[in-house]
Amino acid sequence: MRVELGEVVFGRDGFCLRGSGTFGEGIHLVSGPVGSGKSTLALLLAGLLTPDRGTVRRQDVKSVLLLLQFPEHQVTAPTVAREAASWGIAPDEVLALAELEERADDDPFHLSRGELKRLTLACAFIKCPDLLLLDEPFSSLDCETKRWVCGMIEERGSGTTIIFSHEQSVLPRVDAIWEMEDGALIGRGSVPGAISSWRHAPAYLTYALERGAQPENIRLSDAREALCRIRD
Amino acid sequence: MIRINDLRHRGLEIPELTLDARHIAVIGPNGSGKTRLLEVCSGIEEPGTGTIRILGRSPSSLRVGWVGEFPDRTLLFSRVYDEVASTPRFRHQPCPETERMVMAAARMVGIGDLLERRVASLSGGEKVLVALAAACAGEPEVLVLDEADSHLDAVTAKRLRQVVQESPAAHVLWCTQSMDTAAMADCVIFMEGGRVRYSGTPEEVFEILKETCYYPAIWRLR
Repeated sequence: MRVELGEVVFGRDGFCLRGSGTFGEGIHLVSGPVGSGKSTLALLLAGLLTPDRGTVRRQDVKSVLLLLQFPEHQVTAPTVAREAASWGIAPDEVLALAELEERADDDPFHLSRGELKRLTLACAFIKCPDLLLLDEPFSSLDCETKRWVCGMIEERGSGTTIIFSHEQSVLPRVDAIWEMEDGALIGRGSVPGAISSWRHAPAYLTYALERGAQPENIRLSDAREALCRIRD
Repeated sequence: MIRINDLRHRGLEIPELTLDARHIAVIGPNGSGKTRLLEVCSGIEEPGTGTIRILGRSPSSLRVGWVGEFPDRTLLFSRVYDEVASTPRFRHQPCPETERMVMAAARMVGIGDLLERRVASLSGGEKVLVALAAACAGEPEVLVLDEADSHLDAVTAKRLRQVVQESPAAHVLWCTQSMDTAAMADCVIFMEGGRVRYSGTPEEVFEILKETCYYPAIWRLR
């Protein structure tokens, strides 16, 4: 199972995205500044945009799901339970996972920002698609819920998960790092080798690298363990 | 100075709170009442019971600049220039003064190159910067940021912090999920269940929160 970008070029409103690369099974992190093209890349990978040139090929991918940065853009039903059902899954299971059992009959727009995000994330994790694209899954969430999201991402046993994020404190274990810079997709490679060349790394990773530590992965706990190793 | 007494308002319950600090970070779990507190402190909502005095006045009499988390919900105009100009225009400022305020705010936030763009063509983070410029164009006495950094990358978030630091606003109330950002404030308040659980300097509050994930990531590595 993989998604291949072959010399993709996509332009709009003076912005141009360019990129090639293969997203295999595992967890991929795509980071980059605001406006660098992360969301556009997510839409291209999901097949919701067509490149002007080049190809997006999905091999052995039977199901694709994209969670948008702003969850309210994805709401289609008037109650929380019916919103869950609209994803084709049992509402009870979703509400239990999202801890929203008491809100089943509420309007989704009456949920707090974090609750609505939790609802759409729970739907996505239960659907468990082959290709899961998460556009800024951590924004709006408190640190406890970010940890919950990380756990759910890490527990996905198979498939390809691509996270588009600039999160700087709570991140999951990932297999590969990519960066968007001025519309260009740059593959940094597999983790841990990719960490040292990651330009938009969180401050805690940079701190650890500057002191000669070599984190095994990108979580805060990885940075702490690496620092402990060199301090010992 | 911010003084709150006997406040009860839609789940908020704050018997007494006095904050003598310029930059105040408001932190806590989703749904703990942070946004509600910002709304009553900015005059968007009148409290059910109790009083709030900021700079000795009621919030509704102050010039307040508000930057929300979801600018799509608050941006009114289709061109960036018109959005930033809306603050002085709504205050009936003459055209030359409006022009001066727009240019000053755009320069301060660093969005001069976006002024002629369509708002719809901007990324989520760029929209936050436009909302910040519109807030600053009103020369606010109180600048309120409601998780405005949630959708910003590290470089843009740093720019946001610089703008906030340089702002002449007498008070900055900044609700954030970034504890590294909160750690730079003069004062931190931690909310839970509609109440202020802890308030004090960043060192005091984060010492209490040391065993939780509400502790600045970078401090863990010291």
